[in-house]
Amino acid sequence: MNATRITQGVTRGRPIAITVDGMRIACFAGETVAAAMLAADHIAFRMDARGQGRGMFCNMGVCSECLVTLVASGRRVRACLIEAHDGMEVATRG
Amino acid sequence: MAEPERFDVVIVGGGPAGQAAAIALAGHSLSIAVIDEQMRPGGQILRQPPAGFTVANWLADRSYAPLKDQLDRFGQLENVSWLGGHSAIGLQAGSIVASGPDGMRTIAADRILIAAGCQDLAVPLPGWTLPGVYAAGGIQAFTKSQQLLAGRRVLLAGTHPLQLIIAAQIVAAGGTVAAVLFAQPRAAMVRALARHPLTALGRLSDLFTARAAMATLARSGTPVRYDVSLSALTGRDRVSGATTSAGDLQCDAAGLCYGFVPQSALPRMAGARMVAAGPAGGWACVHDDWMRTSVPGLYAAGETVGVAGAAAAAAGGELAGLGIALDLGLLDTKAAHRSAQGARRQLARHRAFASLLDTAADPRAFFPTPDSGTIVCRCEDIEHGILSERVSAGDSANAVKLATRCGMGVCQGRNCEPTLLRMISAARGPNDAGFTARFPARPLAIADLLAPD
Repeated sequence: MNATRITQGVTRGRPIAITVDGMRIACFAGETVAAAMLAADHIAFRMDARGQGRGMFCNMGVCSECLVTLVASGRRVRACLIEAHDGMEVATRG
Repeated sequence: MAEPERFDVVIVGGGPAGQAAAIALAGHSLSIAVIDEQMRPGGQILRQPPAGFTVANWLADRSYAPLKDQLDRFGQLENVSWLGGHSAIGLQAGSIVASGPDGMRTIAADRILIAAGCQDLAVPLPGWTLPGVYAAGGIQAFTKSQQLLAGRRVLLAGTHPLQLIIAAQIVAAGGTVAAVLFAQPRAAMVRALARHPLTALGRLSDLFTARAAMATLARSGTPVRYDVSLSALTGRDRVSGATTSAGDLQCDAAGLCYGFVPQSALPRMAGARMVAAGPAGGWACVHDDWMRTSVPGLYAAGETVGVAGAAAAAAGGELAGLGIALDLGLLDTKAAHRSAQGARRQLARHRAFASLLDTAADPRAFFPTPDSGTIVCRCEDIEHGILSERVSAGDSANAVKLATRCGMGVCQGRNCEPTLLRMISAARGPNDAGFTARFPARPLAIADLLAPD
């Protein structure tokens, strides 16, 4: 596990859960989907043309490396900009 | 919030420049919309934690105080519609196309201010597409906003002094920084600052912030090295180390910090005149004394007109707000000039400091060397060797794009364009105007394009 939540001095939103590629990920209301994924060590957001996992890069909406699919709507969204909602289903493959 | 689709003024970007413009326009009974991709205002400099979080001592360093004060004042404005979570994806004089959670919308305004900020310069090197390698600003945003440490041992490498601040923030939050590596010699940085001591002294708070960051890093035993260049990031399915000119080291996250370039897609799409930005590359929007661009009704401020930091952005944003009020006949010339005096002084002062910083942080002699298989265009997986061939054959940036798909992916060339232009410039001089900016500036679902309004 690489990315870790800062706990000192931080009170988060209520505990919620999303699923990413069918795996349940516990997170907190208000977190971005990207932060929730990284904190759960789901570090690859897609596979590139060489078959290598690719992570997010800019974390500010510019690079689109973190595009994921919201299963309910089929929308492709940047995980670094989208807030996680309880029960949200996310897929890393289009 | 009522959301009419016509406003007197639309501001793209809720950072220091956009806020300052809105504040300067307050009291004129104008309807103002502020569009921002983030849910909450602040920009990258004050990237706020989610609304449901409470963070004790959030960005407590005193250098942030004036910006936080401005953010408070912005939050109290009436007549401002906050369109957070929206991306401006299209721009022409008089209207903006934005995409948000409910799809696409067109917003009309006779006065539009682009204050869209900057982005980290993307720097290709072997291994930089491994998961766990980030733009340094992305790592900082996680620390500031999501309250997340990107790794257990974070490496920061590049040429920009901001990486000291990022490292210190990680350490202060209880994290570990493997090392902060400056590719340039320390003497070169000191020399750049010493050449204009008065300018440097004029921004003492920044120098103190950097010094406080150094002290934090020293206390924690974090190595800060100069004249150490990064040659590769290594790992199998994620980054686990780095190869440097001073040997190998281990890390599980890495931030590349070689400088910042303006986000220029919108003004370029609108046909505004641009010039080459600072040493890191990119394009800055040309403007006059009231931040008017070459396109009537279109104004630009903040990093959009050249990366100079938050204080310069706030000063420029204020000038843009006053300029818009002047152009709308809400201020006479004399009153506008009088009101603008302070902001003009501030802008000049902060730009002078930014220019020193540009010299101290100049990455051009210190970029890592990609190998022929290094991906340059991350979206389309286009390798350096393929681009080299096209550049050698004499292709322009647009021709390279058509021939290879470099710059044709979802990021629209934001990551690869500076690298490609450096290659072209090295081959035959800096005359290439880069990729033609295309709609949409951000990825968009076809379904949203086809959906009736």
